[in-house]
Amino acid sequence: MSTVASVASAMPARAARERSDARPALWLLPLILVLGLFYLYPVIDVFRYAFTDITLLGKGETYTLASIAKTFARPELPQILWVTFVFTGASVLGQQVLGLAVALVVVRGESRRLFGATLLRTTALIAWVVPGVAGGIVWKMLFNGAPFGGLNSILRLIGLAPIQWLSDPDTVMWSVVIANVWRGTAFSMVVMYAALKAIDPVLYEAASVDGANPWQRFVHVTLPQLRAAIMVNLILITIQTLNTFDAVISLTNGGPGRATEILSLYTFNTVFRNYDLAAGAVLSILMLVISMGLALIYAKFLPRESRS
Amino acid sequence: MRSATQARIGDAFSYLFMAVMMLFFTWPLIWLLSLALRSRKEIYLGVARLIPHEPTLANFSAILSSSQFAAYLYNALKLSTLSAIGCLIVALPAAYAFSRFPMKGKGGWMMGLLSFQMISPLVIMIPLYRYMASIHMTESHIGVTMVYIALAVPTATWILKGFIDGIPASLDEAAMIDGCNRFGVFWRIILPLSKPGIASVFIITVIAGWSQFLVPFLLITKDALMPIGVGIFQYAGTQNDSSLQVLAAACLVSVVPAIIAFLSLQRLILGAMTAGAVKG
Repeated sequence: MSTVASVASAMPARAARERSDARPALWLLPLILVLGLFYLYPVIDVFRYAFTDITLLGKGETYTLASIAKTFARPELPQILWVTFVFTGASVLGQQVLGLAVALVVVRGESRRLFGATLLRTTALIAWVVPGVAGGIVWKMLFNGAPFGGLNSILRLIGLAPIQWLSDPDTVMWSVVIANVWRGTAFSMVVMYAALKAIDPVLYEAASVDGANPWQRFVHVTLPQLRAAIMVNLILITIQTLNTFDAVISLTNGGPGRATEILSLYTFNTVFRNYDLAAGAVLSILMLVISMGLALIYAKFLPRESRS
Repeated sequence: MRSATQARIGDAFSYLFMAVMMLFFTWPLIWLLSLALRSRKEIYLGVARLIPHEPTLANFSAILSSSQFAAYLYNALKLSTLSAIGCLIVALPAAYAFSRFPMKGKGGWMMGLLSFQMISPLVIMIPLYRYMASIHMTESHIGVTMVYIALAVPTATWILKGFIDGIPASLDEAAMIDGCNRFGVFWRIILPLSKPGIASVFIITVIAGWSQFLVPFLLITKDALMPIGVGIFQYAGTQNDSSLQVLAAACLVSVVPAIIAFLSLQRLILGAMTAGAVKG
């Protein structure tokens, strides 16, 4: 005690004062309470459920490892994971590529004072603020398989055969990905736009002096400079896409059959339609593990200086 | 000369790309508006009647005059506004502490905060649904608001911390020399100077609350308590092709408030978002 006191008295007055009334715990208490009650405790409980045979209906539960074994042995699980992989991979790729392309064109448009560059950014963002459920309903109208559907009537106008966007099991995944890319692209665009604006123009001048053409400037200046932003963006949009739920339940509800039943929807159905809480807990831990695993893998590719 | 032609060609491609992308982003909403303005018989005419021959506002008046939809809209507004206020009350002191107090492993705590975003709302809703049911907090706006707050608070704290970092600490010190305690500094210096940050977090949280689906879908089954997201989902389930125009109007009514809220503070929101994303 005495050493602490002597050290404190030896400190400059201001630092001592700061130390004396800096009680961060008090300021953080509401945050800790909210996150503890609504995040940490439920997550811990999910892990506990996974080791029981708990259901939404029954009262008592016993501890067992059987739920984990049974869940992983479910015959439909490989199909669910494959659907999730295709949906996530295609959506993330589409959003990243399109988001970067739109950001590049907006930046170019702004520097060359092209008409409509800002308007394009705003229209992308409008799609982004559309609530997921509403987005699903809107796209369901567009994908209406009847001749008067929002896309099929265009196809008919230009003399093409209508497409069964949502009822053909081989097509439906691409329809869902298109709808998801429509809503999600703006986020990637915003991140890419900010990162493009942060690139030092001197680099481009130097590249031009060295005689680099636009493509070489893109590959040798822009892309390496964007690397950290792209990795961060990939982490964020992969997690967002894995957690997508409302846009898919309102567009296809997983169908036809199980063609678009992604892991989040499958987990939901397991718990709230089949009341199998233990299996649902195992599946949600699987979701968590996949998110964290992917985030760690992406983080490995982050340039060293921005990792801190 | 050659580079000027090259730039001209580049401009042409830029315009073409911009036109295609604008059509992609706006087409769903244009289609929605077109359907919402049609009468029942024009629904089956597809894109040929993009601009209806007999436009009507009957679908909108049907939606807006129904007490059911009025309740959906009111509930959504209530839940998203209350949760945004609650979120600020929780996040602001924490953001101040993260910004100003000396703390061991602060970077780690901030990253930990961000990693909450990794957890799907579905994961926490599985146990939360049980707790809420056992203490009779389902069918209650208080319960739903609390979960909204928890979902929004990590991002809000992160954005506000970045904003408070931008306020010079010398102002705090000057105020403390003048006899302000920590709370005085927070109340009289930090809060007034953080107004733009508070406004953007408020709007971001309101928009997120307006878009919420899963939480109220699980916790609320009474029609009179449902927010618009759940209401329109249930409504869509009861409709068929012959009432597409009414569903379109309902959908538009649920979408437009979010778009207006966003456009009104676009610059501020984007600034706050990119600051978080680029730093994070």
